[in-house]
Amino acid sequence: MSVAQSLNYHIKFKLFGSQIVKWQANRAYRNFKEPKNRKSDILASPLKIGVKTKELITKHYLEGRYVNGVRPVAWVTSGAPVEILKALGFYILYPENHAALCGARRATLDISSEAENRGYSVDICSYARTDIGTMLSGKTPVGKLPKPDILLACTNICQTVLFWYRVLAKHYNVPLIVIDTPFLYDNAEPHQVEYVKNQLENSIETAERVAKKSLDFAKLKNVVKLSKEAAALWLEIMERGKNIPAPISVFDQFIHMALVVEKRGDAETVDFYAKMLAEIDERIEKGIGAVVNEKKRLLWDNLPIWHKLRFLSEFLAEHGVSVVASTYTNAWGELAPMIDVNNPIESLAKTYIHPILNRSAEYKLQVMEKMIDEYKLDGAILHSDRSCKPYSMGQVDERNRLVTQASKPALLLEADHSDPRSYADEQVKNRLNAFLEMLGV
Amino acid sequence: MSVPTRLEIIEKVKKDKRGVAAVFPIHYPRELFRAFGIHPIEVWGPPGVDTSLAMAHLQSYICSVVQSGLSFYLSGALDVVDIILVPHCCDSLQGLGSILKGFVKKDKPVFTLYIPRGKRNEDIEFLTKELKRLYENIAVFAGFKPTKDDLLDAVIKEEEADKLTLKAYEVHRKFKTNASEFYRLIRLREYLPLVEFETHVNEFMQKKHKPSDSVGVVFSGVLPEPMDIFRLVEESGGVVIDDDFASLRRRIYPLGESDDPFERMAQRILNAPPDAMKGSPFKDREKFLLDIVRNSSAQGVVFYNVKFCEPEKFYHPILKDSLKNAGIRSIVVEVDINEPLPQQVKTRIRAFIETLKRG
Ligand code: SF4
Ligand code: SF4
Repeated sequence: MSVAQSLNYHIKFKLFGSQIVKWQANRAYRNFKEPKNRKSDILASPLKIGVKTKELITKHYLEGRYVNGVRPVAWVTSGAPVEILKALGFYILYPENHAALCGARRATLDISSEAENRGYSVDICSYARTDIGTMLSGKTPVGKLPKPDILLACTNICQTVLFWYRVLAKHYNVPLIVIDTPFLYDNAEPHQVEYVKNQLENSIETAERVAKKSLDFAKLKNVVKLSKEAAALWLEIMERGKNIPAPISVFDQFIHMALVVEKRGDAETVDFYAKMLAEIDERIEKGIGAVVNEKKRLLWDNLPIWHKLRFLSEFLAEHGVSVVASTYTNAWGELAPMIDVNNPIESLAKTYIHPILNRSAEYKLQVMEKMIDEYKLDGAILHSDRSCKPYSMGQVDERNRLVTQASKPALLLEADHSDPRSYADEQVKNRLNAFLEMLGV
Repeated sequence: MSVPTRLEIIEKVKKDKRGVAAVFPIHYPRELFRAFGIHPIEVWGPPGVDTSLAMAHLQSYICSVVQSGLSFYLSGALDVVDIILVPHCCDSLQGLGSILKGFVKKDKPVFTLYIPRGKRNEDIEFLTKELKRLYENIAVFAGFKPTKDDLLDAVIKEEEADKLTLKAYEVHRKFKTNASEFYRLIRLREYLPLVEFETHVNEFMQKKHKPSDSVGVVFSGVLPEPMDIFRLVEESGGVVIDDDFASLRRRIYPLGESDDPFERMAQRILNAPPDAMKGSPFKDREKFLLDIVRNSSAQGVVFYNVKFCEPEKFYHPILKDSLKNAGIRSIVVEVDINEPLPQQVKTRIRAFIETLKRG
């Protein structure tokens, strides 16, 4: 670590930057005002905790600007078993979250074109294209991303991440840890879990070498405990959606899930979700629904359409439709019970092989049916995400089964989570209108 | 060369009261099935299937290999087989396996095989166990378990076939034989019994080949479909002299070392040439491709990519750059295995060969 880097980090981030962000957030929280352009006739006021979400995310990216040379930096896939790296003191960056942020800020086209111009096809997942674009051009709406010292790719969400991280590893010339998680067509078999466990154990040496320190198992247990607590609270938050009217919608969840992905394993994330839960409970007590006049309740499947969150939320709310639950946000909470704090490595192996994206389409259908039942939902929107083949394959059958087996109207909506070129405004409106008619609203 | 069709082979095997397994792409041990006396027939597409059948289950942005494979299955063409195997080699094949097991069930077992994305000790160890699992599953169907010796014997026979195939490639490289015929020959391994395949290859080796002065090009991609491409290259004055196709070159498995048949099969698959479908590192793929080009004295490389095939598309920019740095020209074209070669692809390939001819 150079003295200049350390000074820069401590002065610009620790002493000033993070303090200013915190001070501004605290002030905004205390004097919380509803945004002026809010459609109060159809949507509830945004959660006050949103101020904190913004604060924590801003601080995280702000730290990233100055962190190189001060803390080791890891770039990891969203579903990766990050706890070992956390316990070793790595600053963790989630390129998928960064790409989602680019999508929400409508920066995808500009940034991904940098990758496309270098030959990366538009058929490649738009998250990967965006981050490769950032890697090649430095363009990012967050100012600057830190360079990685190590990469961690876990195939429990897709194979795309492996190729993508190979590109990063080549460009940055840093070690890549691959945790390969066999896809579960059926229940996990012992040799599959053991394989993941072996890889986790073997990865420790590389991680320690880069971190220049040994893994402290007491620390690891603590990080695992915090991960579990955050995921469990997140699950509780989502389950509050069973309330009628639902206090939060999936559009709120899409925003607030950032921390359970990006900062799981941190104590402040646990505090954050505890506060969020309290605010939601307050809403329930007051009978406040996320959609003012909730008439119908829906399920969302697959990733959000980041660049259309506001439009979709308002369009549906205008018709009294609240999208209450989603397989996507659920994925970040449903595995909490599997984590065993006293048996960290083995339970991480078991947990991280089980995300919904690493399980069969038939299993996903069962989850959807269960959610429809438990959340008392009237139908489902399945976002057929051109970029995400693993999530989308099987949706045609899943939709048909929901209609025929569960007797619920279900819509397959074709788009892309970030790339606006795969989204046709008029077509989406027409399809949604026809679907809403079917729902009787 | 007169050879039986896939259907004729299936009928023959059935008449002999043996089982048939239909195997989807890409990596699997043929020897495991052969040790059970089960005949593996690979399903690479096939082209020319009515893909509207798959449209009832798949979105339009899924590659034509999976679209055709599923359509073929739905058309009833695979009803005669006894077992289906879907190796897990990419997200789309993963989805295909999931759909076959969950939503379009027929009265035959669908087995899967996860191919690990590395060749570390733990990967070999895992694949060894995964192959044992597959062995147990097949044994339930077959009603018996081949012994260790039977299995090893089957492995060694496949190793011999791999060695022979490599020799055939050498002959093809040396004489620049007719690529349409050569690749038709090599692709017989997708469905012919081993001995018959070897007979055809030996015939090819014994033929007197005349050297040709066509310009050699190497093709890289998943599979050489539509196969018309070979003729097109030939008509333009070139010859596909070697390849880096997942279905061909990348499946010539090396000899294994272990005495344990399962471990040996695992070693063979994972130590085989680098492949997008095994998530191989760039440097391995760059080296393999450059070696092929240099050893065959090819003048250029055509990336013959299947539309929507994400794995190959990730590698292309870096492979292209590394060829460029080595002074080797390349182009990329995209095809749908179910459609005739687009005019634009034809024009580009012709122009590319012309450029290579000019040196
Ligand atoms: S969006 Fe889908 S394909 Fe892209 S990185 Fe995420 S899981 Fe993988
Ligand atoms: S063509 Fe590509 S995407 Fe399609 S099955 Fe083969 S490897 Fe997978």
